[in-house]
Amino acid sequence: MRVPGDRLLVVDLSTGATRRERIPPEFLRHYLGGRGLGVRLLRGRHRLPPYDPAMPLIFATGPLCGTPAPTSARLSVVSRSPLTGTVYDCSAGGRFAWRLRAAGLLAILVEGKSPHPVALAVTPSGEEIVPADRLWGKTVGETVGALSGRGSVAAIGPAGENGVLFSNIMMGEGNAVGRGGLGAVMGAKNLKAVTVDGDLRTPVADRERFDRARSDVMRLFRASPVIFGELGIAEYGTPALVDLMRQRRMAPTENFRRTVFADSPAYSGPAIRAAYGAKKDGCYGCPIRCKKSDPGGRHLPEYETVSHFGALNGIADLHAIVRSNDVCNGMGMDTISAAATLSAWGEARGRFPSADEIVPILNDIALRRGEGDLLAEGSRRVAEALGRPELSMAVKSLELPAYDPRGAYGMALAYCTSNRGGCHLRAYPISHEILRKPVASDRFSFSGKGRMIKIAEDANAAIDSLVACKFAFFGASLEEYAELLSGVTGEHRTPQGLKEIGERIYLTERFYNAQNGFTRADDDLPVRFFTEPGSSGEGIDVPPIERGRLQEELTKYYRIRGLADDGSFPDPAFLEGQP
Amino acid sequence: MRDLIDKYTGKLARDRSALPERIGFAANDDRMVEGGAPDLSRLAADTLSRLSCLGMLAAAPALPFPEFLVRRAPADADRLVPLDTETRTFLHDIPVLRKEERGPDPAAKIAALLSKRKGVVVEGVGIVASGPVTLEQAYIHYSSVFHACYVKYLLDVLQDGFLLPGEEEAFRAFREEHLRSPSAEGLVFRPGPMENPEEVLAEVRAVGRYTVERGLVDSFFGNISYRVGDTIYISQTAASLDELSGCIDPVPADNRSTTGITASSELLAHRRVYEATGARAILHGHPKFAVAMSMLCEEPDCPVKDCWKDCTRVRMLGDTPVVAGEIGAGGLAVRVPPVIGGPGKAIVYGHGVFTVGRDGFGEAFRAMVGVEDLCRADYFLRFHSRTRGQSKSE
Repeated sequence: MRVPGDRLLVVDLSTGATRRERIPPEFLRHYLGGRGLGVRLLRGRHRLPPYDPAMPLIFATGPLCGTPAPTSARLSVVSRSPLTGTVYDCSAGGRFAWRLRAAGLLAILVEGKSPHPVALAVTPSGEEIVPADRLWGKTVGETVGALSGRGSVAAIGPAGENGVLFSNIMMGEGNAVGRGGLGAVMGAKNLKAVTVDGDLRTPVADRERFDRARSDVMRLFRASPVIFGELGIAEYGTPALVDLMRQRRMAPTENFRRTVFADSPAYSGPAIRAAYGAKKDGCYGCPIRCKKSDPGGRHLPEYETVSHFGALNGIADLHAIVRSNDVCNGMGMDTISAAATLSAWGEARGRFPSADEIVPILNDIALRRGEGDLLAEGSRRVAEALGRPELSMAVKSLELPAYDPRGAYGMALAYCTSNRGGCHLRAYPISHEILRKPVASDRFSFSGKGRMIKIAEDANAAIDSLVACKFAFFGASLEEYAELLSGVTGEHRTPQGLKEIGERIYLTERFYNAQNGFTRADDDLPVRFFTEPGSSGEGIDVPPIERGRLQEELTKYYRIRGLADDGSFPDPAFLEGQP
Repeated sequence: MRDLIDKYTGKLARDRSALPERIGFAANDDRMVEGGAPDLSRLAADTLSRLSCLGMLAAAPALPFPEFLVRRAPADADRLVPLDTETRTFLHDIPVLRKEERGPDPAAKIAALLSKRKGVVVEGVGIVASGPVTLEQAYIHYSSVFHACYVKYLLDVLQDGFLLPGEEEAFRAFREEHLRSPSAEGLVFRPGPMENPEEVLAEVRAVGRYTVERGLVDSFFGNISYRVGDTIYISQTAASLDELSGCIDPVPADNRSTTGITASSELLAHRRVYEATGARAILHGHPKFAVAMSMLCEEPDCPVKDCWKDCTRVRMLGDTPVVAGEIGAGGLAVRVPPVIGGPGKAIVYGHGVFTVGRDGFGEAFRAMVGVEDLCRADYFLRFHSRTRGQSKSE
């Protein structure tokens, strides 16, 4: 596949050497870009420890980036997670990806380790590695401010420098490369920031086809109540889900001991709008603009953040939640894992942190001070250290987000099968189990969920490789995005073809994980979900999940994926058969 | 899966969109499950095995309209392009596979077409539709293709007359044997106004079912709501109107809660209609003759090309205003409220009918029946006028 501007910048921080090279067209044909390209480029080094200097940290945009394809100004960052030990990717928006393309690059691969803190500055005319000793120790905001004038910035905060296992890489516009601790991987390389700038345009091969597909996408966005409905995410951002999750009785509360938090209206979408005058914000060129900011530009928290700093820790103080979000953004930490780690710690010690305590604790975590040093290790290691391993509500050491699996059985299965651990976005069954898109499925049934999760994982792997935002698929489908891709490249692509690429990416990730020691035993939920009910009421029964049924569906899932019943690969040479 | 196959086979038979004995389903869990007519379920399974999908439906439509559309199309046409709003929004177009193109492995050809679209018309077989996420989706996609072909054929016949041998006879049979007069006869409506939420929910469920049973909407489409004080009880998005139990969202007028994020994509239109009219009940269906007739515009030299969304005129079909507008956050919510208050009904170009009830659903339901009746009568008036003209010229 020919993608305009198909150039990879390779940066060796150990030697200071850089080179720009063409990405093999077959890589793009078989892996698209973004997550898929990153996973392919990782091959051969996927067994290295996350902090090994030779472990690559890959910033990869996709073939749609730089064009007006809706929601495509995104990139994936790929490496191996120090939190989970799995192969790891995270998709992020903002302006960085778009400017990376405008600098004439599809991707950057950083390897090696600088002897001292540096920043990487990229423009169409070249790149330079500049000293960043003065920036070390600075918050993300201070770093971005210091680098103003150099285009878009991706930076780590003190958390990444100090090896917090859930530290983020933050985009200057407030978007996060979150969850798996890739900020710590960047910090281990002594790379404080990457700046990208440029004004190169990305051509579209078949403009008529592209424009038609774009119109189709926009029409579907307008027809989707989740996207452009008056109660949807364009209006209220993802906190629009707060009321819904409470009504569905699946809002994780007090470390998942309960599933309804009576005070959740304090931080709902309408409450945030009223308290902060929330206005629309968003990634470059995105028509949805689900991000919300206050009139002064302060980024307001997402659904996961308000729910986990709220219900999961029993806190109803919206201002404390917003301040917690500010600290995490400034220090460069993942809000889900931070809040969930605090919650597990709170249950273990018999007292959840109060609203006043949270901000100082978060600062201690980022700086690894006092108890923060242990909490910086994430909930699994904290719970194990405290002798209560069962209190870590995580899968593969990744803390679960704010969708209780007892309220959505597809979500329960998808947490288990996710290649990066307890993540809602790999298969995103909330889309059909809760939001009824594209159609509703029975959230309290495992029937057919193995197949549904497999199909969705493949589709989302393709989406992460295009790279597009998953929220676009509350309205549009791969049908329209395959047309956008065909328009950009001039080569005909179908949704079925994209799903097949997604399958290749997914299996490759799983194979990497298997080679790093992951087995069926890791595809499991915390025991609480099998032994304790959620908060039943209002005509909704939330019983514990029947473990045998989940295991049965997991076996089906393996068979559908062509795996052995123990989740392993029948063909140990699987990787050699892949392009 | 077998229970789901039985369920949707029954729905296809009841809504008379497929011949009961010519329905075949396949569902792919960890193994393939087939049900229905053996040849069609085998075709569905063979097609499904080539795609990353959960379900597949192959069925012969109860009316030969899709088949006629394929045969009436130019020999090199590889797709049908109906212009109704559902097709424009969700299907885009409908690929066709002709008899001579089927080859020794028709499932492979069908799979190739379904790899990029939701449903395909296969000459000599019928409609084959995929369900990427659920089996229900295959049923929905089938219904969408059938509906689009139905409306397109009505319009094409009006414009071009009969072109194929047997068409006229089939159309006569359609009119005399298949069509049933829409009617509210025998249905019981609560008179309203209703205040008790439980009573409202029960009535919304009942009227949703009536609307499907009387052929005013296909199961998956349409929406319905009732207002009590400042709360709108509205059907959820992607809900089947004949299965609304647990699928009705209470939405407060002041948006103090976002629980209604799962409400119908027409929530905004319903809200604006309530504000403009003071009505308590709203019913929205897609009766086929009303949809077809709304697309007949005889405005000479009109510069508007995308009439379905860009036309700003208010036309009249009898005493019912017709306006254009996209669904969801498009123009429909702007253009319907100003015109619906007086007559209590409005048609959206190429889309469907909105009706209101001041106190209960009886008024809204009867209004929709009246609109469809009038549009059907008007259609056949034009049809006769055209066929008389055709006879004279012959």
